[in-house]
Amino acid sequence: MGLLCSRSRHHTEDTDENTQAAEIERRIEQEAKAEKHIRKLLLLGDLSAVRVNPENLLFLSRQIKLLFQTGFDEGELKSYVPVIHANVYQTIKLLHEGTKEFAQNETDSAKYTISSENMETCARGNELQVPDCTKYLMENLKRLSDLNYIPTKEDVLYARVRTTGVVEIQFSPVGENKKSGEVYRLFDVGGQRNERRKWIHLFEGVTAVIFCAAISEYDQTLFEDEQKNRMMETKELFDWVLKQPCFEKTSFMLFLNKFDIFEKKVLDVRAEAYFYLCRYTRISFYIDENARICFHKTLFILSDVLRFR
Amino acid sequence: MASGCAERGGCPSDFVAVSIAVICFFVLLSRSVLPCLIHKAPRTNSSSFWIPVIQVVSSFNLLFSIVMSVNLLQFKSNRWRQYCYLWAVWVEGPLGFGLLMSCRITQAFQLYFVFVKKRLPPVKSYIFLPLVLLPWIFGATIIHVRKPLSPECHMGLQWTFPVAGLHGLYVLALIAFTRAVRHVEFRFDELRDLWKGILVSGASIVIWVTAFVLNEIVTTVSWLQVASRFVLLVTGGVLVVVFFSISSNQPLLSQISLKKREHFEFQRMGLALGIPDSGLLFRKEEFRPVDPNEPLDKLLLNKRFRHSLMEFADSCYAGETLHFYEEVYEHGKIPEGDCIRRIYMARHIMEKFIVAGAEMEVNVSHKTRQEILTTQDLTHPDLFKNALNEVMQLIKMNLVRDYWSSIFFIKFKEDEGCDEAMHKEGWSFSSPRMSSVQGSDDPFCQEHMSKSSTSRCSSPGP
Repeated sequence: MGLLCSRSRHHTEDTDENTQAAEIERRIEQEAKAEKHIRKLLLLGDLSAVRVNPENLLFLSRQIKLLFQTGFDEGELKSYVPVIHANVYQTIKLLHEGTKEFAQNETDSAKYTISSENMETCARGNELQVPDCTKYLMENLKRLSDLNYIPTKEDVLYARVRTTGVVEIQFSPVGENKKSGEVYRLFDVGGQRNERRKWIHLFEGVTAVIFCAAISEYDQTLFEDEQKNRMMETKELFDWVLKQPCFEKTSFMLFLNKFDIFEKKVLDVRAEAYFYLCRYTRISFYIDENARICFHKTLFILSDVLRFR
Repeated sequence: MASGCAERGGCPSDFVAVSIAVICFFVLLSRSVLPCLIHKAPRTNSSSFWIPVIQVVSSFNLLFSIVMSVNLLQFKSNRWRQYCYLWAVWVEGPLGFGLLMSCRITQAFQLYFVFVKKRLPPVKSYIFLPLVLLPWIFGATIIHVRKPLSPECHMGLQWTFPVAGLHGLYVLALIAFTRAVRHVEFRFDELRDLWKGILVSGASIVIWVTAFVLNEIVTTVSWLQVASRFVLLVTGGVLVVVFFSISSNQPLLSQISLKKREHFEFQRMGLALGIPDSGLLFRKEEFRPVDPNEPLDKLLLNKRFRHSLMEFADSCYAGETLHFYEEVYEHGKIPEGDCIRRIYMARHIMEKFIVAGAEMEVNVSHKTRQEILTTQDLTHPDLFKNALNEVMQLIKMNLVRDYWSSIFFIKFKEDEGCDEAMHKEGWSFSSPRMSSVQGSDDPFCQEHMSKSSTSRCSSPGP
């Protein structure tokens, strides 16, 4: 603001100039110091709606808003209504189209009726591109369609929005462990293939990369390419990111999220789950001595589940 | 002595012919390479780059094979005789004339499918080209096996006519494809140049084939030998230059990408096709203040708003959504009956936005993408409807919410001179998008820095 004011001055006296110059220099120093404290975090991966699980403390843009920034007020919550409604319409449309497709290809087409309670199509939801919140949306349909509907925080977190381009969030953590003056800048990018060519713009000066992989998606195909399995794609993507030369000294955090969905899926009696998981859990990493890769504890639970199966 | 030089090669006319051929080849090279160098056309892996390259190579092969196989130059050693089959059969046939003709036939085939059948060609060009070349390879193999060539590298009567026939057949095939597209009104004068080129090259081919036949058959009359050699090489040189020049000025193929053309003053396909510019500056509705509560579809019709949103999107690396919207909007403005312009625009949009790996690929689902790429009708007005819906969803849910609190909107408002809208409710809450304008130029950034560092960061207020 000081700079703007000084620009509009027309008379230039010596003392004024000196104070202005000093002020500018002070600000530059302040900014430089502030920059040193800013940690740049990249949030990468094939993301869809990442949900918070309090025990696991997984972050995402909306989570961070909730936890570190001002949170959502009523106006903001209301602004999510079109998003949630759009999700509902899209889900219904996808289920409807999927039902027609399945009914066409199978002899026993009567079981695929179009209603919110019908579970047959939902059971084959992995073949369609329906979002994970399908069941939640269908269960809460009455509440969501109310005229005076105000979304709850959970509704907002479930709402699925594909990120395009780059979103930047700045926050300072609170709590006993935080160092004073620490500021984090989180960059959230889209995960689809066309969005990945934009990632390269952000690869300089990164403190840490948070790579999110949804382990519940082992039996789903990509949104932008229905011939590729999501887990294979994520694995290859992670490999590629690790091998980037600019990340030689960067820390990596691999988050395997959607674990609750994964649990439910695996316990559902499907032999294919075991087959998929055996193929995809052998991930080879490229680790440098200075960089560290931190594994979230869910990785270890994964191997327990395998043994159980 | 005359008969000596006629048999061994090295007559004055031969040297003249060789020098003319060399000049022709350099002209060809310059015409093919210079436009790329001057206009810095990017190298792509598409057929639009490789087919001209293959043409240049095959032209060189043709000329070189003529020089080597027709006794034009005197060689000290006689080793070249052993390679007679290499030059006169393989290099001249499948790798020379055959390849040259096949390239043009491939291009004409693609043009035929796009403009007459109105769909994308079912066979990729890198598969089609070898297929078309097969008869030549087959013929060359037969000749190689039967070995009918005389020590002076001449074929007998019984072989010359089939070979000349094969040459003629390919020329006829090219003419046939061109006739199939003759009633299409191309926008960029492709057909006119094609006919011009075909006439000239047709004439030179006739002369060339005659000379070839004479050279092969009438081996006893020495002046005829010399003359036919000369004519053979000179017309060969003229043929390759004229044949290629059809494509370097006005590409036959869907090189409707304007980079390779001389119409460099057009920045957008819409302008090149003559689609009226969207949104005049002096229409009344432009002066209405922009109300964020209006539906996005209506707001986007306002050109200045659209451009401001486009700049914002570009700054946070999501610009392809708005560019796609604009180009599809222009596509929608093309009148129903005008199939040709629709096809040009549709192909341009597909290559720029839809094809996987395109420079400005948009974020659409697999199903939508496949529907567009495998469409049976390139002229359908609703070809991009589903893709546009998906992109609009992205813009609505993602970009617009952040746009209202960005400095681009502020600048837009300042330009419009409406300050009241700055205090609109529900405007200050979304997170700031990364903007290319950072640091001291960004008023919000300054406010951040001046706050005490232990306080929690809050999103910028109005």
